[in-house]
Amino acid sequence: MAESKRQLAMVMDLNKCIGCQTCTIACKRLWTRDEGMEYMWWNSVNTMPGRGTPRDWEQMGGGFRDGSARPGKLPTRRDFGDAWEFNHQEVFYGGKGDKVHLKVQGEEPDWGPNWDEDQGGGEYPNAYYFYLPRICNHCTHPACLEACPRRAISKREQDGIVLIDEDRCRGYRFCMEACPYKKIYFNHQKKVSQKCIFCFPRIEQGVANACARQCPGRVRFVGYRDDPDGPIWKLVEHWKVAIPLHPEYGTEPNVFYVPPIAPPRFDEQGNLDESSRRIPDEHLVSLFGTPVLDALKVLEGEMAKTRGGGKSELMDLLIAYQWKDMFGGFDRDPATIEWEREA
Amino acid sequence: MKARYVGGHDLQTLLDPESTVWQHSRAEAIRMMGTPSGMQPTAAIRVAWPDARIGAIDRVSVASVHDGRHLAFRIEWKDESENRTIDDTTSFADAAAVLLPSVKGAPIITMGAPGLAVNAWYWRADEDGSGRQVVAEGIGTTRTVDRKLVVGRGIWKDGRWRVVLARPMRVESPEPLAQLHPGDTTGFGVAVWEGSRGERAGIKSFSGDWRKLQLAALPQARR
Repeated sequence: MAESKRQLAMVMDLNKCIGCQTCTIACKRLWTRDEGMEYMWWNSVNTMPGRGTPRDWEQMGGGFRDGSARPGKLPTRRDFGDAWEFNHQEVFYGGKGDKVHLKVQGEEPDWGPNWDEDQGGGEYPNAYYFYLPRICNHCTHPACLEACPRRAISKREQDGIVLIDEDRCRGYRFCMEACPYKKIYFNHQKKVSQKCIFCFPRIEQGVANACARQCPGRVRFVGYRDDPDGPIWKLVEHWKVAIPLHPEYGTEPNVFYVPPIAPPRFDEQGNLDESSRRIPDEHLVSLFGTPVLDALKVLEGEMAKTRGGGKSELMDLLIAYQWKDMFGGFDRDPATIEWEREA
Repeated sequence: MKARYVGGHDLQTLLDPESTVWQHSRAEAIRMMGTPSGMQPTAAIRVAWPDARIGAIDRVSVASVHDGRHLAFRIEWKDESENRTIDDTTSFADAAAVLLPSVKGAPIITMGAPGLAVNAWYWRADEDGSGRQVVAEGIGTTRTVDRKLVVGRGIWKDGRWRVVLARPMRVESPEPLAQLHPGDTTGFGVAVWEGSRGERAGIKSFSGDWRKLQLAALPQARR
């Protein structure tokens, strides 16, 4: 397999994500509005701890163990939450708007793409949760690409974006089984697999991904991993505060997370208890591995600096005073471009 | 197996898996085997599909006829589940195919080889009515070259599939397709996929080495 010369990447600062799903909708409006894509959320945001989307995806296998492919499961449409049908016609156009309310049609759903929102974990007064946004990780060692018997999946040489060629794809779904992040979807109308394309048509025009640009919380940084002037290199390589999700899956993701720091705990007397973190270390280690503990230390150290009135280059970078600085040069305004949709 | 000559029928009759043409044709019983796990093209497939899981359908019966213009096969097999739709991420459709060598010496076990193409006539239950003409030159190289020339019709009744696959014997195409002539002898193979067991791609039952196929000569008056 030819290796990519450069790699585009994304860093998501979990301390800033407010779970508003603007990224999710930005992606949905742009890419997954066609028939057969109703249930797809190439970008999803789930509350952690939680079962995620698709339901219990972390128990579905895939990826690699000790360098060898590990079998994986196919999630069902129900696991993804499916697409609910509503009685829009009746409520909005049927003249019954004052009598009937909007409700799901057919069988009562028992899961949705954001079903366990804000449930989180822990007990009062030390309950905790945070939001975990996810897209395709455009892995350096993509399990999907390696699983496909038709070589329908490729990793672009110029920027490492992983794409499915829908003309070569025959809908076998080995990629879906193999992806340990369960970020590949099956279009049952077109009978092909589809997934996040890292907004490559925007990227090619110098425009950052829709999910990143639309984010009201300035959560998402975009750029090349090897660009020392860009935010990715600084956060991943230099400060080492951004780390991949589930590195043990062996695919080497190119989406990195700045781990969340919750407010301090209370002890039984109601006093602040800083002997341990509110979000248990073991929970974060279960998601990001032990490097998360070093990342938290760096973050806490730099936060302490600013709290003491000092300056922190890292905190300034994470706060993102200049919005456009988040996009590693991909800061062109999409409204200045004439876009065409290919047939 | 002999592809019997049948004259005086229209194509629709040949394509009907329950027509009298097929009732009067002697079918050959063929033992099927699962494709070897070790030959699957990717590691992810090999670990997920050990030999014991591959090849749900262990026997089929196959008959063949031609009318001088079209060659048709009828494949019949026992299948408790009719998997006609792919409406969930986890559902797969039943399928069947006939494989023919496009050139002499094309290997069947590896689905052809570079320069030695094989030609599959493929039917899948969710695409019933239209078949696929597929060319391969080695494992993992299959490509659909047209969806017009091969016609496939399947009927599932009483726990059995009866599927007819037909194509004009001679076709004009820049692709390496099997060209067939009455009186010729060639080889054929059969493959069946059991949708309810997740069989697709190289995960299938197949009939082993090339089997002999004799295309009956045209009767004197038609030559």
